[in-house]
Amino acid sequence: MSNEVKTKEKVDMDPKYIITLTVTLFITCVIVAGLLGLVNGVTAGPIAEINWQNTQAAMTQVVSDPDNTTFGETPLENTQAMTDAATAAGGTLGDIYEAQVNGETVGYAVTVSASGSQGTIEMMVGVDAEGTVTGVSIVSHSETSGIGTKVMGNEPTASGVGVLDQFIGKSAADGTLSVGTNVDAITGATVSTRGVTTGVNTALAAVGAMG
Amino acid sequence: MNLGKQFKEGLLTNNPVLVQVIGMCSTMAITTSMFNGIGMGVAVTVILTLSNVIISAIRKIIPDKIRIAMFIVVIAGFVTCVDLLIQAFVPALSASLGVFIPLIVVNCIILGRAEAFSYKNGVAASFFDGIFQGIGYTAVLLVMCIIREFLGAGTFGGGILNGGDGIRILPEQFPIGMLTLPVGGFLVLACLIAAMQWALSKSKNKEESK
Repeated sequence: MSNEVKTKEKVDMDPKYIITLTVTLFITCVIVAGLLGLVNGVTAGPIAEINWQNTQAAMTQVVSDPDNTTFGETPLENTQAMTDAATAAGGTLGDIYEAQVNGETVGYAVTVSASGSQGTIEMMVGVDAEGTVTGVSIVSHSETSGIGTKVMGNEPTASGVGVLDQFIGKSAADGTLSVGTNVDAITGATVSTRGVTTGVNTALAAVGAMG
Repeated sequence: MNLGKQFKEGLLTNNPVLVQVIGMCSTMAITTSMFNGIGMGVAVTVILTLSNVIISAIRKIIPDKIRIAMFIVVIAGFVTCVDLLIQAFVPALSASLGVFIPLIVVNCIILGRAEAFSYKNGVAASFFDGIFQGIGYTAVLLVMCIIREFLGAGTFGGGILNGGDGIRILPEQFPIGMLTLPVGGFLVLACLIAAMQWALSKSKNKEESK
């Protein structure tokens, strides 16, 4: 068998050889796929659990009353109007989860992403039922270490308020948020601050379009 | 099979990173804290050993023409398994290494050893080759981590010791933050490769003059 397979060049067009190649590769793929299915079966549960815990932890940070708030287990359905409003605000809308206190909807935890200076910033924005921001937390980012990360780490701006905390209390009534007019940037990290601001605008627009 | 020689090759004379100069991408990207270094080193060692053993075991039935495709299927299978297992059971490691775990598929060390060693050698020899080359890779990662973490952040054992913060050696205002950026990775790696080449040529000269 091995000799036959290793005879090179001359047997190139031999159908038998081509079939051997195909069958060998096919069987290998089938075995590997089976193995992956097995491992996936074992790990799917724990991974989903961990993801849900991370999402919940991020959501807890952005609501005004974290101790009494529970979250809907499945995200709300994003309507076309919401997606359009989000895109118009400059960011991309992810999942929206309902935040509930004693079974009543008090607000939403909105996952949005917007471009920062180095890549996409993914964040969770809490918005209450009146359309006011209750908190902003960063889920993932690739901003410059030591500069953009100051924004991600919620360091205080010149006014002394944390750069992420300054969004709390702002709402669509304040108009479009923009750095320099109603948002303070961290010195040297204007682009990163702008990214977060776009994210908050996106979340407000999406909640506003819920109807 | 010569275990001593294989061990010496993996760690020193044929070290994957410093002498073969393969697996550069991950070496530079993740060596910013000791936790990352050990995690990545162990993940690569495990995958390398498994893929070496399997490829060596089936080397007689792998048709020559499609051997690279076969290698990649086997390697990608193992990497995906390890990636899923890490995500499920060591989420902290998965969070800090991120995309670099799936990228082990295209880490040249694994494909390189499959082509250069396990496709031509027996199962046992390939097994030890995987372990020793893995240890060589891990050792370089650790040295890089220690240097970059010490100079760049002023700590030792980040992510593991002292509740994850590492033991602070330099006061916070002294470290050179640049060393934790990719450019610092290039600088440190260049110094290590230069030192290694110097040491190797020195020992070679000594042998020749005997």
